[in-house]
Amino acid sequence: MATTTATLEPSGPAPGAPGAARSAFGRSPALRMIGRRLLLAIPVVWGTTLLTFCLMNLLPGTAATALLGDSATPQEVALLNHKLGLDQPFLTRYFDWLGHAVQGDLGTSLASGQSVTGLVLQRLEVSAELIVFAYLIALAAAAGVATLAARKPGGVADWISVTLSTAGLSVPPFVISLVLVFVFAVKLKLVPPLGFVPLGTNLGWNLRTLILPAVSLALGIFAVLNRMLRADLIDQLQGEDYVTTARAKGASPWRVLLRHALRNSMFGLLTVAGLQIGVLLGTTVVVEQIFSVPGVGQQLLSAIQNEDVPVVEGIVTVIATITVLANLIADVLYAVLDPRIRHDSASS
Amino acid sequence: MTASDAVPAAASAGGAALLEVRDLSVTFASDRGPARVVHKLSYSVGHAETLAIIGESGSGKTVSSRAVMGLLPRTAKVSGSIRLNGKEVIGLAEDQMRRHRGRDVSMVFQDPARSLNPTMKIGEQVAEAIRLQSPVAKRQARQQAVELLGRVRLPSPERRFHEYPHQLSGGMRQRVMIAIALAGSPKLLIADEATTALDVTTQAQIMDLLLDLQEQYRMGLILISHDMGLAASYAQTVMVMYAGQAVERAPVRQLFTGVRMPYTRVLLDAVPRLDLPPHSPLPVVSLRAPDLTRTAPGCAFAPRCPRCADDCRQQDPVLEEHENEHAWACFHPEEPPARQADDPGRPEKTVRQGEATVREVHQ
Amino acid sequence: MTVQAPEQPAQPGSLPAAVAPPSRAVSPLKTWLRRRDLDLWIPGVVLGALLIGCFIVPLTGVVPDPMAGDLTQTLRPPFSPGHILGTDTIGRDVMSRILYGGRTSIEVGLAVNVIGVVAGGFIGMFAGFRRGIVDSLIMRVLDVMLAFPALILTIVVATYLGASMLNVIWAISFFSIPAYARLSRAVTLKLREQVYIDAARMSGRGDWAILRQHIAPNVLPQLATYSLLQVGIVVMIEATLSFLGAGEGPSQASWGNMIATGQTYLSTNPALVLVPSAFLFVTVVCLNLLGDGLRSRYGRSV
Repeated sequence: MATTTATLEPSGPAPGAPGAARSAFGRSPALRMIGRRLLLAIPVVWGTTLLTFCLMNLLPGTAATALLGDSATPQEVALLNHKLGLDQPFLTRYFDWLGHAVQGDLGTSLASGQSVTGLVLQRLEVSAELIVFAYLIALAAAAGVATLAARKPGGVADWISVTLSTAGLSVPPFVISLVLVFVFAVKLKLVPPLGFVPLGTNLGWNLRTLILPAVSLALGIFAVLNRMLRADLIDQLQGEDYVTTARAKGASPWRVLLRHALRNSMFGLLTVAGLQIGVLLGTTVVVEQIFSVPGVGQQLLSAIQNEDVPVVEGIVTVIATITVLANLIADVLYAVLDPRIRHDSASS
Repeated sequence: MTASDAVPAAASAGGAALLEVRDLSVTFASDRGPARVVHKLSYSVGHAETLAIIGESGSGKTVSSRAVMGLLPRTAKVSGSIRLNGKEVIGLAEDQMRRHRGRDVSMVFQDPARSLNPTMKIGEQVAEAIRLQSPVAKRQARQQAVELLGRVRLPSPERRFHEYPHQLSGGMRQRVMIAIALAGSPKLLIADEATTALDVTTQAQIMDLLLDLQEQYRMGLILISHDMGLAASYAQTVMVMYAGQAVERAPVRQLFTGVRMPYTRVLLDAVPRLDLPPHSPLPVVSLRAPDLTRTAPGCAFAPRCPRCADDCRQQDPVLEEHENEHAWACFHPEEPPARQADDPGRPEKTVRQGEATVREVHQ
Repeated sequence: MTVQAPEQPAQPGSLPAAVAPPSRAVSPLKTWLRRRDLDLWIPGVVLGALLIGCFIVPLTGVVPDPMAGDLTQTLRPPFSPGHILGTDTIGRDVMSRILYGGRTSIEVGLAVNVIGVVAGGFIGMFAGFRRGIVDSLIMRVLDVMLAFPALILTIVVATYLGASMLNVIWAISFFSIPAYARLSRAVTLKLREQVYIDAARMSGRGDWAILRQHIAPNVLPQLATYSLLQVGIVVMIEATLSFLGAGEGPSQASWGNMIATGQTYLSTNPALVLVPSAFLFVTVVCLNLLGDGLRSRYGRSV
C-alpha cells in the first residue's frame, strides 16, 4: 500500500490515536482469525506427517531391501533392518521421529547417512528460487494481460488472455514442460533442455536453465490469477461508483484502470497467489523431474523410490509446513492490508 | 441562505448561456426494444444560476446529467445538442470530453460511501482531482487539497487528509466529494441527489455549503432530486421530468403558487406537511412506472393522470411556455389559483427575497 | 422526508435497472456461443466421439492390440500405412494405445468423482443435517484435510501404494472427498431450513428417510455440476501420476505413460509426446467447457 509521506501534520504520526488503534486491533477479527488459523495449522502439519509415516511403513519391503538390492538374502536384510532401527514397532519409531522433528532434527537419510535437515535445506534453496521465479512471471503476466484485456473486452488482449488461461487450466504442467522443451530447446535451441546452473556460479546460465521450468510452473498460476483479475477489473470498471467519480474528475481510462481498479484488486490477487502454493509445490515435483533441477521435488521422488523414509518424511513435513504458513499469511495479509480493517476506529 | 435573486431561465437572458441543452435524447437497447430514457429534453442554465431537476427514479434526470458529463455507457445512443460554454459536447471523443470534466462541468454523486475509493486516503483523492486539472507538483497538490477540504468546511482537514472514507461520516464524505468536484473550479456543478443519502440536518448543512460555494465560485448549479421541498428551498428555476421528458418548468415561485401539470401536483402532494392532522394518509397515485419502450403517441402520464382525457392519449403534449417563463406540457393543466399563499390545500414555500428564509419543514 | 413516488426498484441517481448495460465479464464470443447452446454442443460432441472411440470402437476389432509390439515397425511417424498415428518404441500402434489410454483416463476421472460425490456427499449431508458436535468434528477434520498439500501427498500415496489403476483412484479420491463434503454440507444447511418444517409435520419420519427423500435429490445436482469441472482436473492428475510412474505399469496404455516413454525421443519423434498430449488437452478442455456451460445455466445457488 503506497502511503503518503506528506508531513502536513505538524504533530504526531499515523492516523487515529495509536492507543485507540491498538486496542481496536486487539479486539479485531483479524487477530482472532490469525490465532484460529495458527491453531488449525498444527493438526494439519501433524496429520500430514502421520499419514506419510503410516504409508511409508505399512507397505511391504523396507529401505533395507531397496538398498541391498534383489540379490540380498533374508538374513542380510534382517541385519540391515536391525541396524537401521527398522524392526522396532511402528509407534515407537513414529514418536521417536516426531520428538526429534519438533526440535528441528529430521533424522538421517537411510541411503546416504546425511542429516535430512541439511539435505532438505540444500535442495530447498534451488526449489525456492524456481518457485519465486515462477511467481514473478505469473504475477507480472497476469497483471499485464488482465489489464489489457479489461481495457478492451473482446479485443486482442482478451483473446490471448482467454487462450492462455484455458491452456494453463487444461494442460497438465508436465505436458507444458515437454511442449516448451520441444519448441524452445529442441527446435529453437534457445535454452538447454535440462540441467541446472546454480545462482552463484553464473547468473545468466542460471536463468537460462530455470526459465522453462519456471514458465511451466507459472502457466497454471497465471491461469487462475488472470481469470480472477480480469473479472475483478471489469466488475469494478462497470459496477463501482468510484470509477465514475474518477472519470468525472477527468481521469483517463488508463489512469482509472491502473490507479483505481488494479490497485484495489491487488489485495485479492496476492491472496489468491499465496493460496496456490499447495498446488505449486506439487507441480514442482513433476517439473523438477523433467528438467533435472536438483530441488526438493526431485529429491522426494528419488527418496520414495529408495524407500528412504526419513527423507520422505522430512520433505513432506517441510512442504506441509510451508503450505500451511503460506496459506495463513495469504489470508492474514488480505485482512491486514485492507484499510477498512486496519483503521478500525470510526470517528465522526 | 437564499437562492440568489439573479437571472431567470437563461434562454431569454441573451448572450451565451453556460449550458444549453436542446432536444437531447438518450436511448438504450433493452429486451423489449429501444427505451427512450430521455426524450427531446431542452433546458438551459446560466452562470451563477440554480436549476432544480425534479422527478422520480427512471424519469431520466440522472441520465440527462450524465450525458452532459459524457459519462454514459457505450450502449447509450445520444442525439441532440448539449452546448457547454458554447462548445458542443455530444459526439466528442473521450479525450476531448475529458478536458471538460472537472473544468467546465463537475458532478457530485449520491452515495459518497460508494463514490469514494475505499482503499485510498481521501486527501489523496482530492489531490488527484487537483493534479488532473492542472500540472501541479505532488506536494503542492496536497497543500491545495487541504485548503480545499477546509473550504468545504471539513473539520481538521490536515488530519482528515490521511483518513479513509470509511472513517468519515456521511456528511463529511459528501464534503470530500464536493471538494473533489471543485478541484478544477468548474463553471457548472451538477449535484445528483447529493443529499438524498444524508439525514435532514446534514442535508441542510450541505445545501448551505453548496450555495455558498456557488456564490464564491460563481458557478451554475443543477440540483437533481426527487424532493420538491429541496427545490423549493434552494432553486431559482424548477424543471419537472417524467418518463424522460420535461413536463413543467418555471421559476420556483411561480411553480409553487401555480402548479399546472397534474404530475407536478402529485409530487407536491406527496410531501408530508406539518399542518395536516397526524396520521393523515398521504395522497399517492396508483402506480406503474412508465413504459419507456412505448412508441405510441400520447402523454406518458395518461395512465396515472386524474385529469386525463381522450386527446391526452392520442397526441404527444409538447413543453411550451404559456405564461411568463412558466412552461408545461399538458392538454388539461390545472387551473391557476385565484388567490395566493394562504390556501391550505397547497403546500407552499415562499422564497422571501431579502429576508432570511423561513424554512417550512416539508421533510 | 418526502415520500418517494413508488414502485421503482432502481435507486435514485443510478441508471434504471431495465436499461443498465448488459453484464460484465463475459466476452461477446461466449455470449454468441451460449445463445445457440454451442458452448454445450461442441465440447459435448467431441467428448461423445471420444467416448465412442475409447469404449465402443475397440469392441469392433478394428483396433490392434495396444500391448502387442511389432519390433519391425518401431517408431513409425503418424500417417504411416497401417498405423494412422504411428508406432511407439517397441512397435505398438499409437492410435490403439491412445484409445485404450483414454479409457483409463475417463474411468479414473469418473470413478474418483463418483466416490467423491457419494462419500463426500454423504458425509456432508450427515454433518449438515445433524449439526451439533458431530458437525463440528467433521468440519474440523475436513478443514485439516483441505489444508493438506494434496498433490504432493497424492504423489506419495500413489507411488507408494504401487502401480495400479485402483490405487490411483483411491489416492485421488481421498483428497477430493473434502471439497464435495463441504459443498454438500452447505447445500444441506440451506435445505434444512426449508425441509425441516415439513419433516416436523410428518411426524414419525426418521431422519434417514428425510435425508434420502428430500435432501439428497437436491444436493445431488449441485454436486454433479461441480463434479464436471473436477473430472478434468482428475484426468490431469491421473496423467501426471502415470507420467511419474505411479499409475499403471508402462506396458498398460495410459496417456501419461505414453508421454513418459516418449520423452526421450522428443527431438527425433516428437509425435510420441505430442499426440497423447493433444488428446489430453482436448479432453480436458472439453470437460471444462462443458462444466462451465452447465454451471452458467443451472448455476450454483449456494
